[in-house]
Amino acid sequence: MNLPSPEALLYALLVITAILIAIIVVRPSITVATPGKMLAFVAFCVLPILCGSMAASTHIERSKQTKFCLSCHIMEPYGKSLYVDDPSYIPAAHFQNHRVPPDETCYTCHTDYGLYGGVRAKLGGLRHIYIQYFGTPPRPDDVQLYKPYNNRECLHCHAGARSFETNAVHAAIRDQLVSNGMSCISSGCHDTVHNLKDQSKVKFWTPGQ
Amino acid sequence: MLQKIQIERALRFSGVLLILGIAVEIISLVWEKPLAFLLFVGVGGSLTFAGIVIYLYSLLPPALETPPQPPSKIS
Repeated sequence: MNLPSPEALLYALLVITAILIAIIVVRPSITVATPGKMLAFVAFCVLPILCGSMAASTHIERSKQTKFCLSCHIMEPYGKSLYVDDPSYIPAAHFQNHRVPPDETCYTCHTDYGLYGGVRAKLGGLRHIYIQYFGTPPRPDDVQLYKPYNNRECLHCHAGARSFETNAVHAAIRDQLVSNGMSCISSGCHDTVHNLKDQSKVKFWTPGQ
Repeated sequence: MLQKIQIERALRFSGVLLILGIAVEIISLVWEKPLAFLLFVGVGGSLTFAGIVIYLYSLLPPALETPPQPPSKIS
């Protein structure tokens, strides 16, 4: 037996809440008796708070999805770079080989894995939405990270992985990588990231081929 | 009697705000775009919050009218 999805439950709860509220709006006299008062408290206070919390959680989970990030026009070339047919492109190699979850590709590499990192990423996202709709969004080529890419986001998955740990170069500079003294992506080792400026010159991979 | 009418009016008003808030929440969930989150927080959240506050305010007992004080005796 298939259980209903959390989203389906949320929709059901929202509709039930609206129906209960509508009953009290039409017949407010039912709140004179104690059971009616309790029903009103549940319908007007408990259920709306519960529905709001569940809806907020759904929105936050949804904002981690790759298609959510790529729904902004600015991000389209970044989404396209995930399909570059060249393993030296770090995001493409991770996305195409499922080294990161394909439906949460952007979030996996661009969240902050420090304490409150998720909260910071969400606040940054709110700022992006604000600039997209009420400010002047930059051109895709001009999009910059707030601060240099932290090796911690790479090491979150790679530290402890056999292919990373047994690599002689990584072993030799491990302390520098952990302390961010040497960047994984801007020290000449893994420096081909989204690379939008060369996007017109590269081949693209089509899934299923 | 007057108090009962006022409570019913507050319940109706708060109920309408809550139903509108829930409708906006449903729309924001169906509409899978970044702007939907702003709609959810800005409009849906505000309507729901206002509805809950008005309902809770209607539960407060009315302020008692203080009877006029008798004039103090001059000794």
